[in-house]
Amino acid sequence: RGPAGRAMAAAAAFERRVVRRAAEHHYLRVRLELSDGGARPNAPQFKQLVVTALRELHGEVGAALPVDVLTYEEKTLSAILRVISSGLVKLWSALTLLGFYQNRRCAFRVLQTSPFLLALSGNSRELVL
Amino acid sequence: MVRFKNRYVLCEVVSEDPRCRQCIEDRALGLAVRDAITRVHGDYGLACCSISFTVKYLNAYTGTVLLRCRKDSYRLLCSALPFVRYLESRAQRYPCFLNTLHVGGTIRTCQKFLIQYNRTQLLRLLQNCTNEEERQCIQKSLLSCSLTEEQSQSGDEEEDDGTE
Repeated sequence: RGPAGRAMAAAAAFERRVVRRAAEHHYLRVRLELSDGGARPNAPQFKQLVVTALRELHGEVGAALPVDVLTYEEKTLSAILRVISSGLVKLWSALTLLGFYQNRRCAFRVLQTSPFLLALSGNSRELVL
Repeated sequence: MVRFKNRYVLCEVVSEDPRCRQCIEDRALGLAVRDAITRVHGDYGLACCSISFTVKYLNAYTGTVLLRCRKDSYRLLCSALPFVRYLESRAQRYPCFLNTLHVGGTIRTCQKFLIQYNRTQLLRLLQNCTNEEERQCIQKSLLSCSLTEEQSQSGDEEEDDGTE
């Protein structure tokens, strides 16, 4: 097993733990940009699109990557994806290079990514002061 | 000094159809392997493995194939080899599969392994002989492999399987 923790105990009752090993899953908040005037994909079709993107770039091995769509909003076409940490690079590169959905131009914008799901709830980019 | 390191994958083509031997050629095999890599690893895998990919050596009589690829992507190549299910040439498709025998860093180590492997295969063929004429044939070809021939022929004699 890799280095799980390293405790630094000072003289007082203060202890800092540093976790070297990253979390199991990575979460991405993505938005699909699609031209207007056409059917919007529903949740299963959205997952099919993600798996298709993985299959084009990384083959059957990529398509078998365990990717989950945790939430999906059809109105805004935004979703939260969960992927195993070792597959983050494959998923992100596949989403970047996907160009077409049913012969219509499309693009994936990755808004936030984090190994913790709670971190996706706050977004300092859209903070209104 | 930094140099490009290659990996040489030694495989053998196994097929039930005897006509498959004639369609073992470098272009057909290269296309079949590339197609398998595209299916299994996608565009990224194909691009990775194609950087220095060639069929270095081919022996249609024994079905021995030597492939070369970069050291960084030899695992992608080796994992895609079981997915080669048929060889296609001149609009004929023959089912077959590739057996990986050895992965080496240089052609010389692969050749040493192949000579050793062919020796053991010849002995095994001799044991499995059913009739006397095959036995005589194999024994004659075994005895004709000798290093006292001309220098240029000795390397070929050692690798020759003596079958077919």
